[in-house]
Amino acid sequence: MTRAAAALLVAVCLPVVGCSSADTGADEGAEPYRIGAVLSLTGSYAGLGIPEKQAIDLEVARINEAGGINGREIEVIYEDDATDAAKAQAAAVRLIDEEGVLAIIGASGTGHTVAMRSDAERAGVPIVSMAGGSVITDDFSEWVFQTPWPNRIVIPFVLKQMAAAGRTNVALISDTGGYGVDGRDYVLAHAQEAGVTLVADETFNAGDTDMSSQLTKIRAADPDAVLIWAAGKEAAIIARNARQLNMQQPLYGGSGIARQEFIDGAAEAAEGVRLGTGRILVPEAFGEGTEAYAVATDFIARFEAEYGAKPDIFAGHAYDAIGLIADALGRIEGDVTSEALRDALEETDGWVGIDGTFTYSPSDHNGLTEDEMVLYVIEGGTWRLDD
Amino acid sequence: MDAAEFFQYVIAGLKSGSIYALVALGFTMVYGATGIINFAQGEFFMLGGVLAVWFHGLGLPLPVAGIAAVAATALIGIAFERVALRRQRSASPLVLVIITIGGSMVMKSLARHLFGPDELSLPEFTPGPSVDVAGVAVERQALWVWGLTIVAVLLLAWLYRRTKLGRAMRACSISHDAARLMGIDTARVAMVSFGIAAALGALAGFAVTPLTQTSWDAGAAIGVKGFAAAILGGLGNPVATVIGGLVLGLLESLSVAFVSSTYKDVISLVVLLVVLFVRPQGLFGTAQRGKV
Repeated sequence: MTRAAAALLVAVCLPVVGCSSADTGADEGAEPYRIGAVLSLTGSYAGLGIPEKQAIDLEVARINEAGGINGREIEVIYEDDATDAAKAQAAAVRLIDEEGVLAIIGASGTGHTVAMRSDAERAGVPIVSMAGGSVITDDFSEWVFQTPWPNRIVIPFVLKQMAAAGRTNVALISDTGGYGVDGRDYVLAHAQEAGVTLVADETFNAGDTDMSSQLTKIRAADPDAVLIWAAGKEAAIIARNARQLNMQQPLYGGSGIARQEFIDGAAEAAEGVRLGTGRILVPEAFGEGTEAYAVATDFIARFEAEYGAKPDIFAGHAYDAIGLIADALGRIEGDVTSEALRDALEETDGWVGIDGTFTYSPSDHNGLTEDEMVLYVIEGGTWRLDD
Repeated sequence: MDAAEFFQYVIAGLKSGSIYALVALGFTMVYGATGIINFAQGEFFMLGGVLAVWFHGLGLPLPVAGIAAVAATALIGIAFERVALRRQRSASPLVLVIITIGGSMVMKSLARHLFGPDELSLPEFTPGPSVDVAGVAVERQALWVWGLTIVAVLLLAWLYRRTKLGRAMRACSISHDAARLMGIDTARVAMVSFGIAAALGALAGFAVTPLTQTSWDAGAAIGVKGFAAAILGGLGNPVATVIGGLVLGLLESLSVAFVSSTYKDVISLVVLLVVLFVRPQGLFGTAQRGKV
């Protein structure tokens, strides 16, 4: 019962207090650079926010131990948005007005990032988002940057891979949440260009426990392959249902299923599923000997040593967010202000991170291309590069 | 559409439907005994799944882990009734309903902190390819779901018809006050009803986790479906509730087949509204019930 009581205490306190990062204590004289972070540490995106916080903690500790930036440490002030867009917005206001942060990392989710935007623009504080929604950078704001690959990049890549494998009659099954709807729009827009014909287009809702009906309909349309655009446990249900219906078609997906929980949930049904996402799952994809390989293997080794598990793609998004900010801070000449930091972020040119090599410009605040995508196939309960 | 394809939709509908039925039975039991809607019912479903995963992770064999999860959830249900609801028995039903919403939030938060934010998995009870019945693929786990549902419903029917406790429960559902005047310990009936409702929810959660995975937030969606099924069949009547669950599952599956998966939930909600409009007591309920 003590454990339960402790958990209750945490549950009650977390949303109210938030937490602040541990002080590593070096270089007492100079004021640290204060960076805010709005993460979903509780609520349905907690599976994203927790590894993101772990990665940020790890990187901040490393940077500060190495003497900080320009002799000043980085201090990260965390806020939990509890996977609630209104709370994300309130957290951003607090960080800007009360904490006076230079920049905000966050949020974990697309809707939560969008909710913080107007306040960032009002106050002139740059945001580096770890959410993958295309809208974050499609609907351009000079103050908002993004680290993951949005559907705008992943979908055309996956569709081209399907076409290249001769699977041109494609059935789509997507969720009716933000990720699935955004993905479906891009599939409809890019199918023709990629040389793919959509023969079925089914949807389901978050929380649905059985997709056999949708798959029965897809089976009747006789596609060459099925594209699953969903995240969370529903994707694993689809893979299981497809196998139970004896469907022979290969399954494809994107970053939404690039999680160990998908493999655990789908079990044997995950075997042979192909997915397009970044290189972190199999760092050899970066090419041994390259700078990106060195960066990724170093991060993976340190993350594993600290937390006892391999970093997932979300930890990678957070590594890039804090890394891009640290890099930009180091390039600022003169006074370090939010405005100078925004300008420096926009001038990021060829910074090597986990999600890829970032080159931001006044019209591109995602900074990644299809070249950062690789196709994996799940085999033996893990990812392997598809050949 | 050929016959095999049609029956494939029917199988899918009955699979979801029997899960809705088990959760809906929990709503009906508690409503019958206490006259309130227990909005924590979905969390019992969630607890059945996550506790089974936890017990299984401790090294217990799957059937033992399942029984332990169902028993533990039943105890949680009983504790919930005793600690949170019994002292407020004289309060208005609205207060009690709000307490159940609060209880559901506490259970959710605790599960999130104790078992983590990610999806949890269980192996199938009997792994293997699906069974082919005249071209219709039937999952082995679906057979388990049906089997467990039938056993649970038969046990419940026996309890209701053949035992003193069951007669007390039926008396409470007809008139709470009259039952108390006749010397029935209504507080005990309420407590046992919560225990059985929790066990039914947990059984459903345990039986589907191999198919769907589970997580701390799995309860809300299934709670809504179960509640809809209970209303559809007729709240307070166990047999009607089971039929309501199966009908809801079939409706969802067939609306994917004949209309569109986008409107699946809309169609079942519209049917629910129409039923409530035409027959407020549910498809099979009796009209003179006074409780709301």
